[in-house]
Amino acid sequence: MNRLHQAAILSHKPMGRGYYRIVLKAPEMASSALPGQFVMVRVSDTLDPLLARPFGISSVLSKTSLEILYRVVGRGTALLAGRDRGQTLGLLGPLGKGFPLPDKKTTPVLVAGGSGFPPLHFLAQRVGSGAHLFLGSRDKESLPPTAIVKSFRDACAKVHIATEDGSAGTKGMTTDILNAFLTKMEKKSPLVLYACGPHAMLAAVGRIAAEHSIPCYVSMEERMACGLGACMGCSIPMKSGGYKRACKEGPVFDSRDIDWSERVSVKIQGSEFKVRR
Amino acid sequence: MMIVKNKTKPDLSIDFAGIKLKNPVLTASGTFGYGEEFGEFVDLNKLGGVIVKGISLNPIKGNPPPRIWETPSGMLNAIGLENPGVDVFLNEKLPYLRKFDTAVIVNMFGYSLEEYVAVAERLNGARGISGIEVNISCPNVKAGGMAFGTDLKATFELLSAIRKTTKLPVIAKLSPNVTDVTAFAKAARDAGCDGLSLINTLLGMAIDVRCRKPRLANCTGGLSGPAIRPVAVRMVWQTAKAVSLPIIGMGGIVTGEDALEFILAGASAVAVGTANFVNPRATLDVVKGIERVMIEQGVGVLSELVGKVSVP
Repeated sequence: MNRLHQAAILSHKPMGRGYYRIVLKAPEMASSALPGQFVMVRVSDTLDPLLARPFGISSVLSKTSLEILYRVVGRGTALLAGRDRGQTLGLLGPLGKGFPLPDKKTTPVLVAGGSGFPPLHFLAQRVGSGAHLFLGSRDKESLPPTAIVKSFRDACAKVHIATEDGSAGTKGMTTDILNAFLTKMEKKSPLVLYACGPHAMLAAVGRIAAEHSIPCYVSMEERMACGLGACMGCSIPMKSGGYKRACKEGPVFDSRDIDWSERVSVKIQGSEFKVRR
Repeated sequence: MMIVKNKTKPDLSIDFAGIKLKNPVLTASGTFGYGEEFGEFVDLNKLGGVIVKGISLNPIKGNPPPRIWETPSGMLNAIGLENPGVDVFLNEKLPYLRKFDTAVIVNMFGYSLEEYVAVAERLNGARGISGIEVNISCPNVKAGGMAFGTDLKATFELLSAIRKTTKLPVIAKLSPNVTDVTAFAKAARDAGCDGLSLINTLLGMAIDVRCRKPRLANCTGGLSGPAIRPVAVRMVWQTAKAVSLPIIGMGGIVTGEDALEFILAGASAVAVGTANFVNPRATLDVVKGIERVMIEQGVGVLSELVGKVSVP
């Protein structure tokens, strides 16, 4: 399979709340992409910015097209936002390992924080209507675009929302309502957690999963240059010692394997060549 | 002089320190893994050779993240020489590369002279290795690496010891983070090296002004990419004038024209580095680009261009 493409932009529109939706014609990718995988996108053909940007695949729309949802966070994504329908983009993918899919008896519980929802959107579409989604953010305006929340509602059994200021859903942290939900649900059905979002949230979800003895898969982000396992930039610290590459062994990891303590949670601003979600 | 237009395929082959290269295009260490990472994009038979990611005696874990940061037309990295060690390389990585008709040059380093020598010994007997590139110039590790490459006496002693250890051609990868690179080139020549690689990355730093913290966990890192190309071309030119050893020129090469700048400055071969991250087929583009310019300029044999920049 060829993973290096020039993909035509079929549609490119703002979605609200600072997000854009870009639809790309990429038949080989559309037929093979799995939820949790990502693509490297060259936002410009010039040497500045030099590196391609990683984006989680948010949906496969047809046999020939796929969707990326992104927020403008820096120069690269700003340049991408300026690319029009009909133009082509250099594309490498699908890359990395996706989420292990649940068996039929298991209820998938998806947890998205901040801008971490796109790969979970793709996952929700693939796991069937029994899934529960937990969405958390600072406030209502930091939630995913309303059309995406609706799309999640269509795909899932229920969407649970928590905001820190209470402007939408339950006031508080997603992890609080998640904990209560798991306590109630774990008696009824086997569960599996899938999470994507800020490092601190993923660490918290991993902790809760361990307390409930529920398997938990997290999609990690780290800056990367190549997406192919060569630059060794996207290192994720492992409990067993050493690092694994988000692009090759990840970006999805079993939360129990990650050394959550090594990285002091720092807010990285304008850093967009991490796997974006 | 009349330029003869020759539409036939030009001869890109080069003899580099006794290593036969079908074309001058190699992969810069640390940007192409151990070849297999790029196997689906590049027919390795079409490259002059592969310079693999640096190998040490024991496995190295590398630096904590963040390890990379993009800069204008370049990037900073502080990977910290992460690698699986020489045994894993010989048993698990080298067999893949042996399948191809391409030169395999093994980049290697140590944290002491003894470790460098031990790695050279282990590589000496292995089948399928064309030469070794001694990294005395990594800016991202405290001991070893640049600590050798920025001290003339240490450079000479280290390279002399490796020279005595191995039958393979020895190529010294020099640091640009010195006042006069030609002094180190001469030290490498005097130590009996067969060739030189230059340049390694330039030591750099970037700061997040809002967090008031360095962008890299290691604070400083090595700058690579097109941003450093003019510095690299200048250093190759100065070195080629100072010593007669063949040079692998590298630093920000993206196109055939970029590669030819190095060749005209005095490099016999070139290595494509950061461009592999941007375009996994960059090496092949560079081979084709060199060919195109040679045809356009009526140059039949690439070696005729080495060092042929005309200086007023």
